Amino acid sequence: MIGTYDFCGHYEWTFAWLEKKGGHPLLLEYMEEAISRDSQAHARKLIESEGFNGMTKYWGHTLAEESPEQAYTMSSRKDVVRIDMHDCPSKGFLIRNGLEQHRDYCDHCIQWIKPVMDDAGFVIAHEHNHCGQCWWEFRKQGDSSAVSQTGELAGEADARLLPNWQQKTHHLFSPDTTPGA
Amino acid sequence: MRPPESCSPPSVLPYTDTKPQGAADFFFAINATFRFVISKFGTEGWGEYLRDMAREYYRPVWHAWKAGGLDAVARYLVQSFEAEPDAVFAVRREKESVVLDVVECPAIKHLRKDGRIIVPEFCQHCYFQYSEMARLAGFHMRLEGGNGACRQTFSSEALPPQDMKLIADAK
Repeated sequence: MIGTYDFCGHYEWTFAWLEKKGGHPLLLEYMEEAISRDSQAHARKLIESEGFNGMTKYWGHTLAEESPEQAYTMSSRKDVVRIDMHDCPSKGFLIRNGLEQHRDYCDHCIQWIKPVMDDAGFVIAHEHNHCGQCWWEFRKQGDSSAVSQTGELAGEADARLLPNWQQKTHHLFSPDTTPGA
Repeated sequence: MRPPESCSPPSVLPYTDTKPQGAADFFFAINATFRFVISKFGTEGWGEYLRDMAREYYRPVWHAWKAGGLDAVARYLVQSFEAEPDAVFAVRREKESVVLDVVECPAIKHLRKDGRIIVPEFCQHCYFQYSEMARLAGFHMRLEGGNGACRQTFSSEALPPQDMKLIADAK
């Protein structure tokens, strides 16, 4: 049975298989069609109907289930929801098991979350370091606020304050740098 | 009753996590992935996807089966199903075979609970995956049932060809 216990392993393997079959465009199509619109329909429903509250409900449930060690924090203000991931349960599974079957596993999150946020009326600022650490900020479309200052929203839990934050290659997505974000 | 942690046998799972069971919502992604692959490549292409995964990603498992025989198959089935949320199953070791009875499939149960449209071919995936792993390890595997409960037989002796009609559509 293809199960949930090692899901992140065969999920990552699937990225490589799809890319081999149909190139990067097929993988992007998979992320939007299969993951963002089909698999994550429950997240989409919550966020579209309840906005910021739906985000805290969705990630509150899913991160508690996937990361019982609670290696993350979620902070919110009336105009923004922020997530700081200190030890991603998904990428962490791959690192601990020595799996690197696709060149950019971390990219999958932005690829499924962005279509949800586009449709629900939110914009994303996000940065990850490919080592299981990242942060996210979600604001309403049209809100031109800059990304928060380090520690402003999450205090000491801000991922940018982690001693090992500055490692490997960082990918940064913001409403200014990501077309349509 | 499960033995205390300190008495548990060592894991035979090739990839291990810090939590004892997977997150059930991942079944949504598995079902959606099957639907996507079938829509792009047809059921034959989906079978190829599953056999490729069996050969490549599950290589450590069928290598262990090849080295450890049917006892290794039985140990893997027990531990891999124990790691799935809400799985109800039994594994029986017979002289030349291992029989897995899935009494309540955790995937079908969770997908139904959330009202998901299940890919009709869903239950065939166990056959495509496990029969390829069994073949590579020198065994045979057949499946009967599906749609929430099934019997899977792993044998060191030849078995009649798989009749795909014996694998029920999932709904």
